[in-house]
Amino acid sequence: MELLLIPFVFALLALVVPSNMMRSFSLVGGLISLLATIAHVLNFDTSSFVSIFDPQVVNSIGLTCKLGYDGMSLFMVLLTSLITFLILLANYNRELSANKSFTSLLFFMQFGLIGVFTAFDGVLFYIFWELTLIPVFLIALWFGAPDRKKVLIKFFIYTFVGSLAMLLSIISIKAYAPSFSHADLMAVELTSKAAYWIFGGFFIAFAIKIPLFPFHTWQPKTYTVSPMAGTMLLSALMLKMALYGMIRWMIVLAPEALPEMTYPIIVLAVIGVVYAALIAIKQNDIKTLFAFASISHVGLIAAGAILWSHDNWSAVFIQMANHSLVAVGLFLAADIIEQRLGNRSLSHLGGIAKVAPKFAFMFGGIVLASISVPLSSGFIGEFMLLKGLFSYNALIGIIAGSTLVFGAAYTLRAYQLSMYGPATKHHFADLSWNEWLTFLILLIIIVVFGIYPQAIIDFVSPSIDQLLGSIK
Amino acid sequence: MNALIVIFITGLLSLFIAFAKKPLLVLITACAGLVTAAILLAQQWGLETPQSLFKYKGLLFDHNAIGYSLVAILFAFLAILAGYKSFKENEEHIGDYVALLLFSLVGAMCMVSYTDLFMFFLGLEILSIPIYVMAGTKKKDVRSSEASIKYFLTGAFATGVLLFGIAWLYGAVGSFDINVIGMKINLEASHSSLLYVGLLLILAAFLFKVGAAPFHFWSPDVYSGSPSIVTGYMAAVVKIGAFGAFIKLFTVCFPSLHEFWAPALAGLAILTMFVGNLSALSQITFKRLLAYSSITHVGYALLTILSTDGGSQFNLLFYLFAYGFSIISLITISMLLNDEEDKIEAFKGLGKRHPFLGFVAILALLSLAGVPPLVGFFGKYLVFAGAISEFPTLVVIAIINSGIGIYYYLKTIMTVVSKDDVSEAKIEVTGIQYFVLVVCALGLLLGGLFASHV
Repeated sequence: MELLLIPFVFALLALVVPSNMMRSFSLVGGLISLLATIAHVLNFDTSSFVSIFDPQVVNSIGLTCKLGYDGMSLFMVLLTSLITFLILLANYNRELSANKSFTSLLFFMQFGLIGVFTAFDGVLFYIFWELTLIPVFLIALWFGAPDRKKVLIKFFIYTFVGSLAMLLSIISIKAYAPSFSHADLMAVELTSKAAYWIFGGFFIAFAIKIPLFPFHTWQPKTYTVSPMAGTMLLSALMLKMALYGMIRWMIVLAPEALPEMTYPIIVLAVIGVVYAALIAIKQNDIKTLFAFASISHVGLIAAGAILWSHDNWSAVFIQMANHSLVAVGLFLAADIIEQRLGNRSLSHLGGIAKVAPKFAFMFGGIVLASISVPLSSGFIGEFMLLKGLFSYNALIGIIAGSTLVFGAAYTLRAYQLSMYGPATKHHFADLSWNEWLTFLILLIIIVVFGIYPQAIIDFVSPSIDQLLGSIK
Repeated sequence: MNALIVIFITGLLSLFIAFAKKPLLVLITACAGLVTAAILLAQQWGLETPQSLFKYKGLLFDHNAIGYSLVAILFAFLAILAGYKSFKENEEHIGDYVALLLFSLVGAMCMVSYTDLFMFFLGLEILSIPIYVMAGTKKKDVRSSEASIKYFLTGAFATGVLLFGIAWLYGAVGSFDINVIGMKINLEASHSSLLYVGLLLILAAFLFKVGAAPFHFWSPDVYSGSPSIVTGYMAAVVKIGAFGAFIKLFTVCFPSLHEFWAPALAGLAILTMFVGNLSALSQITFKRLLAYSSITHVGYALLTILSTDGGSQFNLLFYLFAYGFSIISLITISMLLNDEEDKIEAFKGLGKRHPFLGFVAILALLSLAGVPPLVGFFGKYLVFAGAISEFPTLVVIAIINSGIGIYYYLKTIMTVVSKDDVSEAKIEVTGIQYFVLVVCALGLLLGGLFASHV
């Protein structure tokens, strides 16, 4: 229970802490919840299910309020706490981190995310899912770029409408089940027609959040106008909810629809992979470029999630972790450039490596991780995902494989144009200690998992097997 | 039953206490009366047989009636508290205002507890007439007078239609007792056409009273012209009475004719949702926005009347319960802003000017939009879940409408949280208003806990 309570309490405390102590307060808060999560991880037997809240009663509308975690959930909780801490750390020297509403919203977001990952009740999942929308929306609205209003209305409406479709699915499937608990909903046997509708409702919600082509139009601008922390939350954590939701809810609740739905979804995902990569190559704004890169990367993960098998799902988890770490790194780098130089357009940047060698090194490390070079965590994940796609359909596998080439092209282009060439400005303050530390933590984790990805696989495997085993 | 008498006497008392020129005393009397009535009602909950007065069987407080009455009393209580400050501006009339609202509450309670169409009709009149008067209490304001006259004329017409329908119904079955009517209709294999005509006339009158399309034209004008507190009272309490009577009549009398009226009502529900939503999109004044959004909510609520699910009376009550908190808090806030033109713009920067008000306003708007975990979400959930097995298409359309609705709620929320060119004028919130807003905020946040049948 403390997994959820700690962020919630800190979210409330943040409103009363004096603003000169806010920075250290937020860092301590992030660290405490990270340590609490690690304590849970260390005491966790990977094949077990730990219940953190279960009132044992079903009320008349079928709500069971079950919260708990298995390997997959706990992995996502760990990722959430880690990334939240890194976001706080990365923001430490920014003006934003002294703001009490910002800090409170961030902890509130963490609370919602952990709720999403530990909910084992349909309605509770939906409630937490929607709860996460409010803080990230407010962070972007209050602290974002000047031209944000229209973009954010679009973002909110898109995701809200998607969620409504999911709500419809949850209500419909409940019509066949005694309660909303995950186990009861999973036990429902659907006719294939009903399964399409239920699967479809979930899919719309998840496709918008991930986002998959053609539901992605809200994403690049929203990422661009959000402040750094907002963009990190959106890309590193919020879209993971959708990928996790695909595995935990969509596929296992309505597997009857899979035979027909797999192909179209994979096609959409792969179109997204290539299409977003091509757009990214032409981008001038470095933040928008990373936004499109994100669409391209997560398309591949979504394709892996829909091809349900042990290997694919393990790869999905590796790649989710990798994408989160890389996204934090890339958006931090983009923000450092913007903060120091006042603009983000590649055509005005150049030569930063000469004046800021530490930054150049760290940014370079993240860039390499982003294009999945061997020894980075992305390598093994991407490799396994592509292998899965390839054995599903060789042509699709080849097309999706182009992401390796395109990914290298747009990421290295961004790196080269900003870091090398003639310097436009001779003054560029190198990394401050907190930025340096953020990058360092990111790179260490990336390399550790790049060398030993088996750690992640071992952690999530038993629960993946259990979930796969329970699919009819 | 005793509760009804208590409220009526409290109304009379407050008329006379007002002569003492102590407005606070009137308020205390009214509140004490309402609390007593609520306690009396709550005590009846446990009774084996529902209580009726003396030997008269026309009013029966069964569990549903008690539930609807309690919620009506709650919102009337909050509305009177919220309106106290504006009542006080017209000190010599405060007794009249409070008494009229209480009398109207008596009507609402009759409407949810009737078993006899006479009593139902009387209840409707007792409910409506004080509101006709209240709508026109801003005597010097043309729009208030307009609202009053418009509401009165159209309302009187609808009442006429209703009475006409009841007469046809009586012609067909020969009784006013709804249980007898229901039984007779159920037993007969073929029905006289008198019955169908009567049913349609009654349906039309009901749709008028709840403000469903195409009988909704009065509601935006009346909502925006009336004094704010009357608008809140109409949206929260009057709706409870009208809907309570509506669902009772249709579930007790006409379930066996479901195939006849359900398609018509389903069509009108769809029309209502779209009319309300699409008109709300471009509103610039706040009360008109509320009026159109309330039309949409009526559309959702109609789903409960359509569904033959056993829990639909509870679902409808919970929906209105959820809706009431939003309305009362938004109306209270809009009264505090005290904007002559009632522009949505007046909410600009509310979050910065007065964080607490901004917070409550955001909660209320999000709850109207149906964002979990606020009470509005559970209301919507119950309504949709109750209807999904019988009317899946209708639920899909309702969900689409929730999607459209988010636009104007979000736009208003954006206005509330906006931080640019905020007006500096200070907002003074009295203790009573704080109390109302805190109660509403708690209701919005925790109301979901009541979302299961007791």
